[in-house]
Amino acid sequence: MTTLSFSLAPESLFQLHDALTCLAKFHDTVAIEAEYDILRLSVLNPTKTAYTAFVFEADTFFESYSFALPRNGTSSRDARPDRFCCQLYIKALLSVFKGRTKDKDTAVERCDVELREDLDQTECRFVIRMICGLGVIKSYKLTYEAANVNHAVFDRTKTTNQWSIDPKFLREITDHFSPSAEQLDISSEGGKAIFTSFTTKITDGKEILKKPVHTSVAIDKRDFEYFLVEDSLHVAIALKDFKAVIAHAESANTMITARYTRPNRPMQLAYDFGGIKTEFTLMTRGASDDEVPQSSRAPELSARQTPAPVTVRQASTSNSRNMPPPPPRARSIRPLTGTPSASARGTETEPSAETQRPPASIDFDSLFVPADDDRQWDVPNEDEETEDRLGWDATGDHETFNASLGRLRDTESSMPPQDTSHEDDMGIPPTQRISQVSQLPAPQQ
Amino acid sequence: MRFRTQLCNVTTFSKLIGSLSSLGKVCWMRLEDGIIRFTIIPDQGTQVWAQLPVDAIFEESTYILEANSGVINLEVPVGALHRALRSAVAATSTQLRLTKKGNVPLLALTIHASSWTTGSNALGIADADQAATDHATVSGPRERETVIAQEVPVKVLHELSVEGLHEPRCRDPDVHIILPSLFQLKSISERFTKLATDSKGAGTALSSVAPKLELSANMHGSLKLAIATDSLRISSVWTDLVNPALDPAQLSQTELEQLPSERMRAFRDDDEAGWAKVRIDGKDWGRVLSVGRLSPKVVACFIHETALVLYVYLPGNGDDSCLTYYINSYAA
Repeated sequence: MTTLSFSLAPESLFQLHDALTCLAKFHDTVAIEAEYDILRLSVLNPTKTAYTAFVFEADTFFESYSFALPRNGTSSRDARPDRFCCQLYIKALLSVFKGRTKDKDTAVERCDVELREDLDQTECRFVIRMICGLGVIKSYKLTYEAANVNHAVFDRTKTTNQWSIDPKFLREITDHFSPSAEQLDISSEGGKAIFTSFTTKITDGKEILKKPVHTSVAIDKRDFEYFLVEDSLHVAIALKDFKAVIAHAESANTMITARYTRPNRPMQLAYDFGGIKTEFTLMTRGASDDEVPQSSRAPELSARQTPAPVTVRQASTSNSRNMPPPPPRARSIRPLTGTPSASARGTETEPSAETQRPPASIDFDSLFVPADDDRQWDVPNEDEETEDRLGWDATGDHETFNASLGRLRDTESSMPPQDTSHEDDMGIPPTQRISQVSQLPAPQQ
Repeated sequence: MRFRTQLCNVTTFSKLIGSLSSLGKVCWMRLEDGIIRFTIIPDQGTQVWAQLPVDAIFEESTYILEANSGVINLEVPVGALHRALRSAVAATSTQLRLTKKGNVPLLALTIHASSWTTGSNALGIADADQAATDHATVSGPRERETVIAQEVPVKVLHELSVEGLHEPRCRDPDVHIILPSLFQLKSISERFTKLATDSKGAGTALSSVAPKLELSANMHGSLKLAIATDSLRISSVWTDLVNPALDPAQLSQTELEQLPSERMRAFRDDDEAGWAKVRIDGKDWGRVLSVGRLSPKVVACFIHETALVLYVYLPGNGDDSCLTYYINSYAA
């Protein structure tokens, strides 16, 4: 039985809330990984172009932290048997870890979080208890889903370009950009660092007036703590991601550091403060020059068509020795097939049944990604699970599963007919599908 | 074709463009020697014809205009230009020029802004050790300069395509009056429209058309704002407003005496016949009143049951800078 429990002081609680607010800007589910000395929250965005991780150090961030794994529970397949992973709806967590309240009397004095995960129990929950003033105790129980979490690996030693700056200056820059701008190009020339916003929207030649406004802001390199960048090198990232990072960095009151090599390689923005280490690994693209055909430089497009996320794949080339080839992320793109790897009542340590499907179907599925958020919950993994087809007996739960399948189908009339062979791959859903608990958890006392 | 200038009154320019942008998405900007005109002709709603002397918003000594016809006509997305001008409000200097990128003509704003940084105290943090060491390397207080370039795509209009556009012509007004504070007028108008719409929604809601505001005035300094539905009738009256005299230089004495407004003045101030009335859409009226941000002097000319023409004079420019709003009256 995995045990995890920790307590948070009010100050840490607010920081956790800020972190969740930031993570929520990337995607709607957060992966939680517990290790002996850290707790990591990470999010990979749906297009797999941005990976965000907040690492909370056990000794400094928490008032108390304890984590233990069962001796026999881990499987040899798991690359990291020393951790526990699961994923949760960020919205659910945000509603629990609210920001600062004005109500002084019943302000939170301490927060205890405990993981109740027992293979013999049907209910596995995160139990969060807010101990507030005047003896008020609010407890929340959140369901979670098993997940196989992968990290975007970024090799800092290979960094060739690096700068560090007060995020306040970056926010002043992004304030000038049009709200509809999508991309941010970063370059330098002479003594200036230039930030240019642009949009790769293909507009009809006649609709000149609907073309986006191009904004570029040049600031002095002296505004940076240090700025070691190859001159006239252009890299571009998604502006929305950049804004999400600087908003959090500004609230954390800390310097932000960017590291990158060249276009079409990931850029990492990072900063550490008060027992929290953050990293934001963002895919970059080439320069914003208009003459480049727009469709030819869209890394995230190609990423959609291949099973592996770009950020991970790119980075792993230099790290293949100490990391297994990163498989696609749990919430990868695929048709509705049940929840095989979640078969073990909410843990990833159980074998799961899944066959690797032909790439063609993945391409096909990618068209349907936006249509169905719920499917992103379904299959944690594709590659790692190939050897486990016979890992469980589905007969007992077949009916309940089919019921849930049918209900899902009701809402997805546009779904293509299911390949019946997938039924073999079905798994037992975790204790409860998160989609079933869409109502936010209510305080129980 | 060349156009380049330094902006000298960014706040006015920005507010002007801002109030225009509430009425339409694109505006026809006409640059001439000495005069700039902005015109908005939406498919529906109020037209604006604005005319300003160059020095109202541009630095006349830097104003360069070269074109075969001596005129440059541009179609400008006002919303985007307004947004771009926001970067310039606190700037030390701003240049506006017409340029081209590929095949796209652009109005390019080059903005130099400077701010003061206090160096290591900029963040005001002393408690975080990490940050404190980081800041040790930052130099002391100094001036930071930021250069912002905003490129707004525009369309260059040929003289032929704007030839057919003319300012509306109306008959002489029945009543002309200086409006009270636009802010007050706006909030009362909005309140009335909301009340009327709410009461309508609660009732039978036979017609989907929102109730119209009734605006009327007489030549004895009174202005009335009213709205009526089946269930309510509400009105506000301003008194002691000014009915400005018309320029005697433009009209002869007999012409002046025959003006409809003089006939209206002849009615006693409690006589219903002395009032000229128009019906206008509350939402459209709200957009028109957004020009209040320029704190102008506004003369409203009422043409009974036909139209309302507003002459909006910008402060500090005499009568040279004038925005003219043409608002049609709805039938009863």
